[in-house]
Amino acid sequence: MKILNLLSKFTLLVALAFNFHFSLSAQSVEEGKALYNANCTACHAINDKVVGPALKDVHKRREEAWLIKWIKNSQALIKSGDATAVQVYKENNEALMTSFENLSDNEVKSIIAYIKAESEAPAAAATAAVASTPSAGATSGEASSSDWNTAINWMLFVIAIILVLIISTVSKILGRIGDIQGKPIINWNKTNSILLMAFLIIGMGAAFWEFAAHSKHTVFSSGPASEHGGEYDNMFMITLILTGIVFVITQVLLFWYGFKYKADGKHKALYYPDNHKIELLWTVIPAVVLTVLVIRGLMTWNAMMYKKDEKARNIEIYAYQFGWNARYAGVDNKLGAHNFREQGKMNALGVDTNDVNAYDDVITNELHLEVNQPVDLAFRAKDVIHSALLPHFRVQMNVVPGLPTRFAFTPTVTTAEMRKKLNKPEFDYVLLCNKICGGAHYRMKMKVVVDTKADYEKWIKSQKVLVNKNTSSSQAVALN
Amino acid sequence: MSDHNLTHNHEEHEHHEDNFFTKYIFSMDHKMIARQFLITGIIMGTIGMIMSLIFRLQLAYPDMKFPFLEGIIGHWGKDGKLDPNFYLALITIHGTIMVFYVLTAGLSGTFSNLLIPLQVGARDMASPFMNMLSYWFFFLSSVVLLSSLFVDGGPASAGWTVYPPLSALPKAIPGSGTGMTLWLAAMVLFIASSLLGGINYIATILNMRTKGMKMTRLPLTIWAFLVTAVLGLLSFPVLLGGSLLLIFDRSFGTSFYLSEIVAEFAGGIERTGGSPILFQHLFWFLGHPEVYIILLPALGITSEVIATNSRKPIFGYRAMIGSILAIGILSFIVWGHHMFITGMNPFLGSVFMLGTLIIAVPSAVKTFNYLATLWKGNLHLTPAMMFAIGLVSFFISGGLTGIYLGNAALDVNLHDTYFVVAHFHLVMGSAAIFGMLSGIYHWYPRMFGRMMNETAGHVHFWLTIVSAYCVFFPMHFMGLAGVPRRYYANTAYDQFNVFVDMNEFITIAAILGGAAQLIFLANFFYSIFKGKRAPQNPWNSNTLEWTAPVEHLHGNWPGEIPHVYRWAYDYSKPGAEADFIPQNIPDAGQTDPMQEAEGLPEPSKKTVQEPVMA
Repeated sequence: MKILNLLSKFTLLVALAFNFHFSLSAQSVEEGKALYNANCTACHAINDKVVGPALKDVHKRREEAWLIKWIKNSQALIKSGDATAVQVYKENNEALMTSFENLSDNEVKSIIAYIKAESEAPAAAATAAVASTPSAGATSGEASSSDWNTAINWMLFVIAIILVLIISTVSKILGRIGDIQGKPIINWNKTNSILLMAFLIIGMGAAFWEFAAHSKHTVFSSGPASEHGGEYDNMFMITLILTGIVFVITQVLLFWYGFKYKADGKHKALYYPDNHKIELLWTVIPAVVLTVLVIRGLMTWNAMMYKKDEKARNIEIYAYQFGWNARYAGVDNKLGAHNFREQGKMNALGVDTNDVNAYDDVITNELHLEVNQPVDLAFRAKDVIHSALLPHFRVQMNVVPGLPTRFAFTPTVTTAEMRKKLNKPEFDYVLLCNKICGGAHYRMKMKVVVDTKADYEKWIKSQKVLVNKNTSSSQAVALN
Repeated sequence: MSDHNLTHNHEEHEHHEDNFFTKYIFSMDHKMIARQFLITGIIMGTIGMIMSLIFRLQLAYPDMKFPFLEGIIGHWGKDGKLDPNFYLALITIHGTIMVFYVLTAGLSGTFSNLLIPLQVGARDMASPFMNMLSYWFFFLSSVVLLSSLFVDGGPASAGWTVYPPLSALPKAIPGSGTGMTLWLAAMVLFIASSLLGGINYIATILNMRTKGMKMTRLPLTIWAFLVTAVLGLLSFPVLLGGSLLLIFDRSFGTSFYLSEIVAEFAGGIERTGGSPILFQHLFWFLGHPEVYIILLPALGITSEVIATNSRKPIFGYRAMIGSILAIGILSFIVWGHHMFITGMNPFLGSVFMLGTLIIAVPSAVKTFNYLATLWKGNLHLTPAMMFAIGLVSFFISGGLTGIYLGNAALDVNLHDTYFVVAHFHLVMGSAAIFGMLSGIYHWYPRMFGRMMNETAGHVHFWLTIVSAYCVFFPMHFMGLAGVPRRYYANTAYDQFNVFVDMNEFITIAAILGGAAQLIFLANFFYSIFKGKRAPQNPWNSNTLEWTAPVEHLHGNWPGEIPHVYRWAYDYSKPGAEADFIPQNIPDAGQTDPMQEAEGLPEPSKKTVQEPVMA
């Protein structure tokens, strides 16, 4: 009976799929691409296994109906004893795939359409797709050159071993000659002292070159994109200058002394066991400098941590393996209560649907912020510890299961302004996971957009409210 | 045998017959145990280094296939691609091996064992039997840790800090299955080893000093080992407790560290009411003193090596002791600086920030004292001396970035980025490894009775310092761009594309550094058998270990234990003929070793060339 039932559902869905197929295919690839990038890339790539399997040709391997079921609730499918589902589950270290109940059948279909298009794209076209799926595209594109590089790597390895053998032989021979002549061939004392000086000069040069060359890649070069960021960057610069001075002085003295006071057989060391005045001096000076840094640092820290603004917009950041959601508090600016036991069923975030505050909440895959509008981010984790790092805003907070954390700040530069400033039209702010959380940790990110007031309001209106106002009572019942 | 240290009847020591097992395997002689620790540490270090090279390859060439990987790591490197989960396993085991097995046991275990009895003038450790146990617990622990590489699901993969819930739930990551159980078992054994060693070190230093070896005459190495042992003794039990609770959470369904986690994810039992942050507090209560457990012995070794090879007394001996003590005490109240952004109360963050930045003061004092010791010295740039200078350089470079990270405000954006990786690999990793290598080059003649090849030593030093700086210095900039550590690849982020070249450069430098260690390994093992025979006191050093004969005796000195008449740093004393006066040489007219006459720069006995046994 069960099988019959399933079969009938299958046929129905397949029929539906065929119906839509022609009308959808054109724009659905585009839509699928967007959905794929928002929902799937944390765990999947087209050509490579990440946490989940590689998705290339998945439309050939599996029925579409099966895929829809799987994507919407893989755990139910596994529990139902579906052989393919159980096999997939076992093959992938029994990692549970997130349920995407929020995706409609058509949306899943467009994702599949996108995967189909990607799978069928010839190798040459794959390079064109680099922009959207960098890792997938790059792999297929460079497949041929990698063999070459491997050969080079092997050669490097062999050369390294040969080098070691040569050095050891040469040093042995030199040692022998030295023994015969009664004095060492290389005067290491002199050689080392010269090398110390050379290392100091080249090393300092390299360090300064690096500052010149790589500072522009840091998030400090583009300036802060948040209100407290200015204070943060000042603190950073003060520390940089002070430590920079100490760094140069002490390293120069260290290597200079190494060069200058080498034993030459002529001079004797100075017997100079201590000098209380000098010692007091170089205890007090660092202490004073550090006091300044501590006081300044505490001021910055307190300003960042104790920021409380009545007008701040409440947003919840929800983290799971391996993705992020944002939940907006809606018009009432109150986030609905949540219950971890409800997670992953009808509502992925476990929002308490009995709470009236939850009705107007909006759950999204992107974080949109309004420029110059304070926000108060509350963090919640489903499974393990994550950390939300927003480097451009100088914001980071751990997301700990069972422990509420928060961070309040005000974004001050819109995405469009930052793109112009950096002269990078494709630039986007990002929220990335910065606490080791599992196999796809390195792909767990959320796009952050800072909008103008008008754009933000347009965007938030286009998002689905958790419970529609007009049908709130009936829908709430249905959700329960 | 255990009563050797109690008896003064030296006849017994010379006529003692050792069979192979009691001499090389289950030895109770501290010098043999030191060598066992060192060689085990070197083997573990080599494994840890190879792991780092594997994941460095991945970071530099995320899109490339390396078919040889499949030969080394099997199905984890299928088709020459490193598995993302196994990448995390590699960084976890690399960190664990380097922090605990190489820089705690390998460094402290080796040199505390070798030097404490020899430098304080004792026949052996207070309890040679416990000392033997200490090594064998360590050995067992190493075997258990390495065996976790071969279990289903792979070894522990939650980072060396093993934060729950990731480490507690096998559903979270494959390595949190059997691999994590073995990791915890290895850690329990390791802690047992560390505690057995630590008790012994403290007892020996406090109770078994020879006549005249006042605390204020101890070489700085011994002071460093003493404070290290105390730190370990006070902090390791906390990690033991933390680990046991984690074992409970993993295996018996408790929720010490777990909260609001559904049954499905948590192995069938809903977990709620615990706190993941609790584990972090317990872990870092060890974890931060651990940093100084690693660093202090390296600094102690450096003090000794720099003083000897500068032919100058260490500058500010008492200030150095004070700094060691201050660092030791402060290290217990700063653990929270690893947790500024965990959601801990911001006020606590302020307190931990204050403590952390205060530690910079004694650290600065130590650095300036090293510089003052070099000033107007007569530097013998031996390999040991070069590595000691390298340590000071790393200590400065890495220590200064600590001022950024110890600042709670700045930590917000730098926490867990490559800036942190650069910081601790310089100040703790490279500096401590350099201290260890310095110690190996300096005391090799004492350990093996032979000299290491000097030229190979210098080549090793230069390649290592250049590659270490090339590897770790550029990482600061990646950190400042927000590149997180423990990422399998940076390919998912367009803004990190600018670091592709830098990542390749770092990996090439790391391979060069790895190759340089082959020179060291060859030199080390070759010289054990074929090195030049060592003279009794090759570096003209003052400390007591060089008054013992080159051949190892069970009981260290054939005759009576030498008495001590002066501090360890009478180098280039005005009026003395030679530029060193060993500690066992009395001043003119000095009969009582306890008599304080040597601190002043008055002309001492002229016959320093002939050591006089009291």
